[in-house]
Amino acid sequence: MATEKTDVVIVGMGAVGGILAAELGKVGLKVIGLERGPRLTTADFTPHDELRYFQRQDLRPSTRRQPVTWRPNANAPATPLPVLNYGNQAGGGTVHYGAVSWRFHEDDFRVRSQTMERYGARAIPDDSSVVDWPLTYADVEPYYDRAEYELGVSGKAGNIQGRQIEGGNPFEAPRRREYPLPPLAADQSGVLFDAGARKLGYHPFSTPRAILSRPYQGRPACTYCGFCQAFGCHIGAKSSILVTKLPEADATGNFKLVSGAMCSRVNSDASGRVTGVAYYGPDGSDNTIEAELVVLAPFIYDNTRLLLLSRTAKFPNGLANSSGQVGRHVMAHISPRVFATFDDRFVNIYMGPSAQKHSLDDFNADNFDHSGLPFIRGAQISVTPADLEAGPIGAAMSMTPPPGVPRWGAAYRDFLAKYFARHAALVAQTENLPYADQTIDLDPDVRDQWGLPAPRLTYDWRRPNEVARIEFLHGTLLELARAMGATSAWPAPLGPGAPGAHHEGGTRMGSDPATSVVNRYGQSWDIPNLFIVGSSTFPTMSGFNPTLTIQALAYMTADAIVNRYRKNPGPLV
Amino acid sequence: MSTHDATRRTFLVRAAASAGAVAGAGLAPDAEARTAGQQEAAHAPAATQARATDSRHGAFFNHDQAAAVAALTERLMPGAPGTPGARDAGVLNYIDLALAGAYADLQDFYRRGLAQLDAYCRTTYKEPFARLDAPRQDRVIAALEDGSAAGFAWPTAQEFFTTIRTHTIEGMFADPIYGGNRDFAGWRLVGFPGAQAVFTSSDLQNRQAFTRAPIVGLQLQARNRS
Repeated sequence: MATEKTDVVIVGMGAVGGILAAELGKVGLKVIGLERGPRLTTADFTPHDELRYFQRQDLRPSTRRQPVTWRPNANAPATPLPVLNYGNQAGGGTVHYGAVSWRFHEDDFRVRSQTMERYGARAIPDDSSVVDWPLTYADVEPYYDRAEYELGVSGKAGNIQGRQIEGGNPFEAPRRREYPLPPLAADQSGVLFDAGARKLGYHPFSTPRAILSRPYQGRPACTYCGFCQAFGCHIGAKSSILVTKLPEADATGNFKLVSGAMCSRVNSDASGRVTGVAYYGPDGSDNTIEAELVVLAPFIYDNTRLLLLSRTAKFPNGLANSSGQVGRHVMAHISPRVFATFDDRFVNIYMGPSAQKHSLDDFNADNFDHSGLPFIRGAQISVTPADLEAGPIGAAMSMTPPPGVPRWGAAYRDFLAKYFARHAALVAQTENLPYADQTIDLDPDVRDQWGLPAPRLTYDWRRPNEVARIEFLHGTLLELARAMGATSAWPAPLGPGAPGAHHEGGTRMGSDPATSVVNRYGQSWDIPNLFIVGSSTFPTMSGFNPTLTIQALAYMTADAIVNRYRKNPGPLV
Repeated sequence: MSTHDATRRTFLVRAAASAGAVAGAGLAPDAEARTAGQQEAAHAPAATQARATDSRHGAFFNHDQAAAVAALTERLMPGAPGTPGARDAGVLNYIDLALAGAYADLQDFYRRGLAQLDAYCRTTYKEPFARLDAPRQDRVIAALEDGSAAGFAWPTAQEFFTTIRTHTIEGMFADPIYGGNRDFAGWRLVGFPGAQAVFTSSDLQNRQAFTRAPIVGLQLQARNRS
């Protein structure tokens, strides 16, 4: 049992935690960062090993020791999710992610207004909880710019201060300047995708990724080895928090990272302020940190879980939950997918960064007219290996054979032998709407290795708006595959209603304390010295991967703490 | 953590090697036994290398279990002349080692699954799975896959099928340090070059098969550390 005092304690050393540790440490605040996993180094990621990192998920939480349960509705039994797609080490998910780094569109921050203005209020499904964000794209733009340049993102601008730029995404929101690094080199799947998409009149481009196309800030350029999504980068060319912000935080001299530290509770006093946290050490010890400021920055499940576990007589429904909104409006991307095979050529899609290699944005957000369509909002579409990771285990596990080919036996062997190096997949990443009854709470039956109740998801994406969108997208993906010259193309079967990747929600931000958990800075409406930063605060999710937006919001929060809160520690809004 | 990893891999290799020595069954992952001549071996036809190691097992499976798993995985991923299958790749050895290590919590799953398979085959065909002819073996597997095989409680027939299919894929395509994918049989089957350090811009745009030899990543490292 140890007690330490500090200015700031940050729970979770991932996409958010590393940025805040560096920014707050730089201005002289003493920061302790808690990380439940280990702190690895770049040298730990050699050699690449598909079984260990992809199949056995070595960089991700153990589904047995750290279970997360799921049920499709409140009447169904909850069972542990078979895969947990977030990080379990310092640097968090940015260590093993595909590094796809999007800025959201302008209308992604005002989904309710945009939909009502263009299609009328009746277009919004009655049971959804679609809202506008309490901030605009213009508010976040300086922080997107900062994140791209501080971390190192490769891409091509499509819109610089309103001027359309050839080769970039024509639907992107205006940016102040070009990306810090040019786009990553295209592989064959990218070339095929670009040609097919253009033939159909769409606007393909190289996906922006936090992977170095050239040396940057002392780190080397990507070698296109292909072991990317699910793997740590063996040369540090992926701009993970592990190799960017944690060294910067170390250099401040004001930062201490405690690994193997599982936060179990946020402590608070009778005055209604948080006083620090309790955590279990790797040796099972029970420890306390007293802090002036508590920042919650784990994956979204643990924000809700910690707030609920930290209930007191003063906060009987959990911390920061006077609105009753904690744990609600959970969202996740669903990814309808089409496999394409090419008899007349090899594609060798295992080469190069594996996730979302080239993209088109024509069907995302409100970039196309939904009039007459039975759904609102869209999806980002990209070309990728069968499972975002490109080794043969991933391909075999993910690529369901086409109709007529069995899943085993000589015909299956021949299918894999012929098409592993001749396949590509087309994936749509959907912007599922928020619904208040899609929730995270505490599982009454399942506990994790520390004896804490497991987070329990109640979630089913199969809503009419979402199902109709996926039917539409399957047609689009098949059309793209044919335009790319695929000999055959077929859709992957859709899974059950379980959430897919990139979870959002649970502590949504808003402009009204009665209907949201935090304000635009991630500051709790109820407890001004408690900040919650990450995709759990997203009111809506966009069809884009969340990480760059999470990181931009982290810079925005850091800015607000450094320049305003420090001088006047109280509500920022 | 790198120290920990090195220790873990060294342990893995040594444990496998010493188990092999005790059992006298050559249990060490192939990598340990390989020599500088491995590049040529990697390109030799799989069929010429398969026989000697057909019955590798002993870390977990008993003889009858091993025979059933060898036969079952070979039907899931069958070899043919010039085309390596599960037996050539050492899938049995992979699963056997995994159940004695990383997948130890699946020991009872396999034990019960194989006992149920045996009972089903004896009830239906009066013979254990390994002694059925290929068409009958395929009928049994189809009955596992669609869940129609009678007499399965836990694991269910479909759970058993799905798990052993997954482990067959792992044994075909995982790095050879884990005891399968012998001589890169699985990688050669599908045309995967392993963990290459670099792909050049001309590699990225080459429409032909990529034929550079697989990198012997884990094996070399394990040997250097042990």
